Amino acid sequence: MSTVPASASESLRVYLPDHDLMAMAGAPAVYHCHHFNLFLDQTVDDALGREGGAQLRFNAARESAHTFLQQLCVRKGAVTPVEKMQCAMETFAAMGHGKLQVGAAAAGGAAIGEFLHYGYSWMQKYGQKVRRRSPADAFAAGYAAAAVEVAFGVPRETMDTAEIACVATRAEQCRFELKQSASPPAQVAPVRDTEVRAQLRPTFNGGDEETIAGIAKGLRDFTAGVSGDERGLVQAFGVFVTMHLAGYYNRISFDALAATEKRAPDSVGVLEELLRESGHVCVFNTFGGILASPEWEGMVGKHSGDPRPIVAGSLAIARALGFGHWTLQEFVPNKTLVVRAPATYESVYYLSRHGVAKRGPELFFQGAALAIAQLAHRVKWTEPVHLTAEVYEALFHGGALPWKVEQTQSTAMGHPFSEVVVTHVGA
Amino acid sequence: MERSQLKDVVADVPSLRGVFVTAMPDCLLFDAWILPNETWIPEDTASFFGDLVRANREGLKALKSWSSEMQVTIESADLLLVLKELRSDFVVTLAFQREAPLGMVRMYTKRLLDRLDGVLPRLEAKERPRSIRVREFLEKYAPDPHAALARVSLRTGISLDALRKPEALSAPQLDAFEESVKDILGLETLSI
Repeated sequence: MSTVPASASESLRVYLPDHDLMAMAGAPAVYHCHHFNLFLDQTVDDALGREGGAQLRFNAARESAHTFLQQLCVRKGAVTPVEKMQCAMETFAAMGHGKLQVGAAAAGGAAIGEFLHYGYSWMQKYGQKVRRRSPADAFAAGYAAAAVEVAFGVPRETMDTAEIACVATRAEQCRFELKQSASPPAQVAPVRDTEVRAQLRPTFNGGDEETIAGIAKGLRDFTAGVSGDERGLVQAFGVFVTMHLAGYYNRISFDALAATEKRAPDSVGVLEELLRESGHVCVFNTFGGILASPEWEGMVGKHSGDPRPIVAGSLAIARALGFGHWTLQEFVPNKTLVVRAPATYESVYYLSRHGVAKRGPELFFQGAALAIAQLAHRVKWTEPVHLTAEVYEALFHGGALPWKVEQTQSTAMGHPFSEVVVTHVGA
Repeated sequence: MERSQLKDVVADVPSLRGVFVTAMPDCLLFDAWILPNETWIPEDTASFFGDLVRANREGLKALKSWSSEMQVTIESADLLLVLKELRSDFVVTLAFQREAPLGMVRMYTKRLLDRLDGVLPRLEAKERPRSIRVREFLEKYAPDPHAALARVSLRTGISLDALRKPEALSAPQLDAFEESVKDILGLETLSI
């Protein structure tokens, strides 16, 4: 991981007080690693098909990036089109998404990507195992479209981008074509931190609060100066990390669910299970990578072998990554884990965009809590930890999990807090 | 064939580190012998050797260059591997020390295969349902095996329960299953 002075992200990153929700230039933001990013994109494509999935991912990226870039340029004092484009591309790299060069104006143009987070990390993770036949960088495509819209005053969500070459399909570089859209989608009200703040309820604490808050602060301080390296990537704790727009994750998840409910209602359960699994993927790779790192040992100390500090540490990591003020309400080793939050990055989006939910929609929260229980009990933290794909398979292979998770409360359903209860199957 | 027989077969072969006998067409381990100090797990490797020889055969056939005499030689960092089809029943993989002279390896390979041909039984080709072989192929090669069947279910609309017992799939379901597996693995055809 490299740090650069006055990183593009540092001065614009804000944590909403006491809720541990993060915003970047007024747009809800979180940190996620490439394992999670690739898994979530793949799940959306599985649900909607290659074209439908890519279209939704592009639309979500363009929408969330437009909201973000509009405010970013104002706050950075970028006025002219060239200043705005430069501001957008520098920030893209600083957030760990790679290098994007856009040569386009209001009528369209072209863009080139190097080390783009999705395509590059896909090749790193899967390239030796399978051949990919469709481009991977819908987020970069949407971001480029939004950059042109903001820089040249083009109406929101009216630029289209096609990725015509991608390193994930073994092209030498990623290339994009931009043009005015023939059929712009109907626009919906953006979900900014203004909308998020408007719905926040009083916060609260739980067990081990002093420990959790202290670690979360340390991690926030550590990540404050983090910025993309010379490739525009952030490589740390064994993963590629991105500071990402929460609106992107939320829209692709909830819209994929809504589309599946209409098109193939029998498949909704499987999609929900895979969205929960994205929480396993995140916790195993990112949380696990942080917990096993020398930086963690330096900040918190050696692991004792007791599962409780792993649970507390995981909740601190969740807060530092901007997932919400996750608190420990109950923990009985090998029996129960109850995690409660006054809001999560999923619930605030859902309520703003879709209104009151009929059932707990925070599938990432559910999967992450279950994975925390699994990580706390099934990994021997006192021995050298190697979090490989094989270890993941052994810990999370479907059907054999010793835990079940249930969302009992959700602010998206109008409850005063969101809560997930993880119970040992044999308890 | 009993293991003691395989041990006898390889007894006087220098530089040999292991022998894997893979039953075809299912690519299941039939028998193996490895040096006592090796940490290999034969069950983890046998199916890949079967698939490798089969893919090689199909590739050469596509190039109109296949003959039943063909064998695959792999020179890795610390191993010299020879893979050879023995009749249509087996694939035999011989793992030699990397520094073993190639001429000697070829000579002993021929000698070993002749011996094995004499002791390996004739297997009756018992074709298992294609749907089961498709599922096994997916689980073996999918990049995220834990999620592989769920991904197919989401893509095809076939329930997870049905995919776990794929022999009962209808013909259109099997087509859809196979298409999604090809797409997930990025393959034009499934070599099963």
